[in-house]
Amino acid sequence: MAVSGTGLALSGLDCRTRYDHPYTRLSALLTRLNDAAKSKVLTLQEYFVLAGKSLRFIFARPFYGQDAVQQMDEIGVKSLGIVILTGLFTGMVLALQSSVQLKTFGASIYIGNLVSASMIRELGPVLAGLMVAGRVGSGIAAQLGSMRVTEQIDALNTLGTDPIKKLVTPRLIAALVMLPVLTIINDFVGIIGGNIIASLVLGLPSAMYWRTVWVQIANDGFALRFFPNDFIQGLTKPVVFGGLIAVTACYFGLGTTGGTEGVGQSTTRTVVTSSILILIVDYFITQVLLSVLTYG
Amino acid sequence: MADAPKASTPDNRRRTGDAADDRQSAAVRHAIRSELAVDAPADDARTAKQSSEQSVVELQHVSLAFDVPIIEDISFVTCEGETMAIVGESGTGKSTILKLVLRLLVPDRGCVLIDGEDITPLSFEEALVVRQKMGMVFQGSALFDSMSVFENVAYPLREHTEMNEDEIAQRVREKLQFVDLEADRVMEQLPSELSGGMKKRVGIARGMANNPRIMLYDEPTSGLDPLTTGTIMRLIMKLQRELGVTSLVVSHDIRAVFRMASKVALLQDRRITFLGTPEEMAASEDRYIQDFLGGFSS
Repeated sequence: MAVSGTGLALSGLDCRTRYDHPYTRLSALLTRLNDAAKSKVLTLQEYFVLAGKSLRFIFARPFYGQDAVQQMDEIGVKSLGIVILTGLFTGMVLALQSSVQLKTFGASIYIGNLVSASMIRELGPVLAGLMVAGRVGSGIAAQLGSMRVTEQIDALNTLGTDPIKKLVTPRLIAALVMLPVLTIINDFVGIIGGNIIASLVLGLPSAMYWRTVWVQIANDGFALRFFPNDFIQGLTKPVVFGGLIAVTACYFGLGTTGGTEGVGQSTTRTVVTSSILILIVDYFITQVLLSVLTYG
Repeated sequence: MADAPKASTPDNRRRTGDAADDRQSAAVRHAIRSELAVDAPADDARTAKQSSEQSVVELQHVSLAFDVPIIEDISFVTCEGETMAIVGESGTGKSTILKLVLRLLVPDRGCVLIDGEDITPLSFEEALVVRQKMGMVFQGSALFDSMSVFENVAYPLREHTEMNEDEIAQRVREKLQFVDLEADRVMEQLPSELSGGMKKRVGIARGMANNPRIMLYDEPTSGLDPLTTGTIMRLIMKLQRELGVTSLVVSHDIRAVFRMASKVALLQDRRITFLGTPEEMAASEDRYIQDFLGGFSS
């Protein structure tokens, strides 16, 4: 509040006519930079406060279990079609492109290894995340944004309900649970897509293909002698991405101002920000997990 | 408590300076006095409820600014059973006062007292509890559009009471009937299927579902036809008369305000420049007040 207040006062200051002195102009520029930096820090702080509160409310009464189940249907079940299509064609194109390269080295038999490693570790989580960010993130931002501009959020507050507990936490729970489920389906369908191409283009028997898929997973090692390292990578990422999508969408949705135009802006910001965050965070999670997990 | 009427600004004088305007204002004041005289039942209700002097909603020297000042040094007291109206031009901070009373906003200076308790230092969770004493009717009704009418009215009961489903259904039916809606017909409808007046009435039913002692109305009659406006006004008066609810009404519909309010506060340039009964307001010689009262009929 104070930040934007200073910014407003600054815009009324006509440096060129009344204070045309290099020092004053520099001072004005620095103040402007200072305000911009403070505003960014404030945004970041609000984002983390929202994330922290909504996580804390998972374990605090009252529980809105019915809302969480309804959101699981919205986020998970209704995204199944888009995720299956994405997984199938990604697996198919991955196998098709790799087949050309692998043929050159006479290594077509390893196509299962390549498709499974790529799908489980990277493409499955990231593509499911991006699809859900586009389909669900935008929906959440639009819904909460509309509720904000039609005073429904204020109505919740006046009726003695914390909007974060009622609206954000159920969506966060649903995203945390459903994104890994969607990712598993995406991975599996992707590997089936690879199987189709391996059979049709390379004439590789399905039994051989699935054997190489398993060999790849086994070769990448196990954590605690039981849980495949690839699965740890492939399931850590969607949990984090689910949290990112839900919190980002709720943050922009609840912060909507400016009527229906504001709702549109919140929706766009949600999709852009959560997609970029998914790609950036993916890199860092990979970096950390590769150094923590013992491969090979 | 009543502030002295502020001297007219040059701008006001410019707007109201000629004789034709004076004649028009006199005619309007006469019409308003007639309105006050014929509205005997409402008048009785007002005076009957003025006897109790216990402060329910009180603002003490409240100021609030965002990028620019919104309201400055606002003070008033609403006693038990009173209907207090806050009037003023658009953008003078009328709705902000309701948000301060609900503690959706916290004042920069001054304090807001509900039942004598200062609510400004309360935490977010404590404020949620205080809000249960109040029912709010929003300008656009603010019904939850993903829920049916029944679920909307039942919402505060499910949230804050241990009532079972039968008791909730009975209470919802009772409240819908209180606001003159056919419970069986509207209960399963979605807010998007209702007319503006019906939405407003469902909004009132939801606001009063928990039997709050304080009702807050933000522009309860805006955007409604004269007949529906009359219905909503009668409802607000009925709530005050039958249940003794303390009401705070924000409106620029002077005719409605004069019929239902026992006290009127006029917001002008971020401050309260008049505080008194509707009769005192109608009798005021202040140029701005004359202009404000005249403006509504032209």
